[in-house]
Amino acid sequence: MTKPRLRFVLSVLTAAAAATAIMGPATAAPQKGGVINVATIGEPPTLDPVSSTADLVGIISQHMFETLFTFDKNWAVTPLLAAEMPQVSADGLVYTIKLRDGVTFHDGAKMTSKDVVASLNRWLKIASRGKQVAGFVTGVAADGDLGVKITLKEPYAPLLAFLAFNNAAAIIVPADAAAQDTLTKNIGTGPYMLKERKADQYIQLVRFDGYKSRAGEPDGYGGARKQYLDEIRFVPVPDASTRVEGAVAGQFAYVDSLPVESYARVQGGKDKPLILKPFGWPIFFMNHKAGVLANLDARKAVQAALAPEDMLTAAFGSKEFFSVEAPLYPKEYVWSSNVGTQAYKPQGDTEAAKALLKKSGYDGVKPVRILTSRQYEFHYKMALVAQEYLKAAGFKVQMDVVEWATLVQRRADPALWDIYITHSPFLPEPALINYMADSAPGWWVSDAKAKAVRALNTETDLKKRVKLFEGMQKLIYDEIPAYKVGNFNALAAKSPQLEGVVPAPWPYFWNAWLEK
Amino acid sequence: MLKPLIRRLIEMTVVMALVVTIVFVIVRIAPGDPAAMMLGPDATPQDVADLRVRLGLDQSLAVQYLRYVGGLLSGDLGQSIFLGQPVGAALLARAEPTFFLTLFSLLIACTIALPVGILSAYWRGSLFDQATTTLAMFAASVPSFWLGLVLMQVFAVKLGWFDPSGYGGPGAGLGTRLHHLVLPAVALGIVSSALIARFTRASMLDVLGDDFVRTARAKGMSEWQVVLGHAFKNALIPILTVIGLTAALLVSGAIVTETVFGLPGVGSLIVSAVLRRDYPVIQGALLVIAGLYVIINFVIDMLYLAVDPRVRY
Repeated sequence: MTKPRLRFVLSVLTAAAAATAIMGPATAAPQKGGVINVATIGEPPTLDPVSSTADLVGIISQHMFETLFTFDKNWAVTPLLAAEMPQVSADGLVYTIKLRDGVTFHDGAKMTSKDVVASLNRWLKIASRGKQVAGFVTGVAADGDLGVKITLKEPYAPLLAFLAFNNAAAIIVPADAAAQDTLTKNIGTGPYMLKERKADQYIQLVRFDGYKSRAGEPDGYGGARKQYLDEIRFVPVPDASTRVEGAVAGQFAYVDSLPVESYARVQGGKDKPLILKPFGWPIFFMNHKAGVLANLDARKAVQAALAPEDMLTAAFGSKEFFSVEAPLYPKEYVWSSNVGTQAYKPQGDTEAAKALLKKSGYDGVKPVRILTSRQYEFHYKMALVAQEYLKAAGFKVQMDVVEWATLVQRRADPALWDIYITHSPFLPEPALINYMADSAPGWWVSDAKAKAVRALNTETDLKKRVKLFEGMQKLIYDEIPAYKVGNFNALAAKSPQLEGVVPAPWPYFWNAWLEK
Repeated sequence: MLKPLIRRLIEMTVVMALVVTIVFVIVRIAPGDPAAMMLGPDATPQDVADLRVRLGLDQSLAVQYLRYVGGLLSGDLGQSIFLGQPVGAALLARAEPTFFLTLFSLLIACTIALPVGILSAYWRGSLFDQATTTLAMFAASVPSFWLGLVLMQVFAVKLGWFDPSGYGGPGAGLGTRLHHLVLPAVALGIVSSALIARFTRASMLDVLGDDFVRTARAKGMSEWQVVLGHAFKNALIPILTVIGLTAALLVSGAIVTETVFGLPGVGSLIVSAVLRRDYPVIQGALLVIAGLYVIINFVIDMLYLAVDPRVRY
């Protein structure tokens, strides 16, 4: 080799070495194959996501069943089984949806508009969210073999978000299955299909070889679904301590929903912590129908009295796991805004609360009954702190601590509670928030709400809707259907070998792979 | 022999009828609603009411009770609301881990408790007796789930000899499944051994001073022949009783341990059924457990007859 040539080769090698040093080692390419065990919080009540709003049902079933639309990484609606975004008529009443060609069900049958019409009608008939939409729908009809038309009575902007959501979900199943209220076979179009379910032991999903992925790259829940893994097994581990030990021992590739107190312990274990930041919001629902808080000034007194910073600190400990924020949506969402949130006081305002309570005419005799549960320990801890702040403001407080099933039943009876505590992930569309429905426990009904909800639902332009939601947020702080305590993060754990998993409120594994 | 047998069978039928009724009523009176649990947190009250109608829960208690008893008389324990399978099949599917867990726990308990109880009675007041008494008190006061978590930390997490939880994945062979039972069986066995050891010791002390033991020694029998062949045999009735009751307690008492170790047994089935108010499963499981209690007691009573000819019913 001549000297100049040798110099050239050396300089190329040096440059390559320098580039590697700067950029770090290249990420290994995704590999096909392997089985993962995913520890979940328990056995789902059903595998049919139409018939339940439980998050656990959505997490598992989204691998088997698909909807016409889903959400991308920015929480915008994106097509899934639909070929593209729908054509909406100028008056906003007719949605024409083209379906992807060549999509097959797990039994090998081709998906057609007949299946989609039957599935959507089933969803409108029995799903909690479907029923919310049904009042706006005139009909669902086939438009050729690969097209569907949804006709509305009046414009309804949240329609696509409802069609995209993964619990009480508008899944597409074969027409004969959709003819029945209860699914007898779990046949969908998803990237994984059910092989075996042994209740309380495992739900075994295997790759569906006939799956037709969307083209392109993964994009949140949308985009391509790669199916690297051979099998995904969801293993119910209801005891939180056992899930922590499973993560520390590296028994599972992914462990969902860990107590935040276990962070340090998990960090020292074989699986590594995975934080979803932000995950959701703890909510104190207030009873508008009966009891002390049917009075608006009393609700305002509660809002003034509560000190979210202390409540969140008691509930989550480290600031790594919460943030004291008033907006109903965090900055990651298009709906995020500070408008109308002045009533939110991180340290509380006891004096203002006392004045409001006096104005309400509260007699000091009837207690504010806080209905809570220790199913989620952070609910209980927040309730304990809230109790003290409410007492300081002059409320008499009664803590009703029950187990979760009792809470779920009691909250339906307005005679039994004044505040009940729950939480929710941030939902991509405001209309999905529980208290937007008049019938939701809490029974927030007012003319101003009806007007604001109608305006938000009938406006189809996103920018205008965001502006309208600012007004809705102000109304929520004025009428207080519920008190948002703040934002909190969720802790999970994953094996260092598991790649391609993105922190998500409803974790999914169709783009995940195992590094060997 | 036949007359007491028939009388005991009639008593068992009455007990089971009472169990059926009491469990049915208690389960329905308790707050909570399977329809609300099935539909999830965002379901509206109307959705819940609709599902209650579909599940037949809107009917009067009397109608539901008659329907349930009618099913029982034809051998049908009902249909699980959440599992989509008959209660009988669900229980049968969970029987294996619970059966083996009970069996292994009992074997571990007896292996520890019988020699310890016999020896501490024989060497009454010795250092061995005092040490085993202290250990037995400790074991009796330790909750099995706590001991289970400690064992899990040491042998599963630190040493990696076992999986912390579960019962093996799809296609797991019997060996793998049984391997998952070692830690929970040890936890339950140690806790259960305390009671059996204390009873064995007390029962042995009662007989070791009796005349027939002295006579046996006077006849020149070896000490171990006296202790095991004579004293232990005569001390066996109360020990059998407590072993039988421990077995029955283990079937129902494994509930927490099964949950901690994520074992898909009858115990964890009951816990999940209670949490989601799966009425048919709760009723069916409690009925089966009550039935097991009754049968075990019956067997023990019959064993008394066989072991001790003086016993009459």
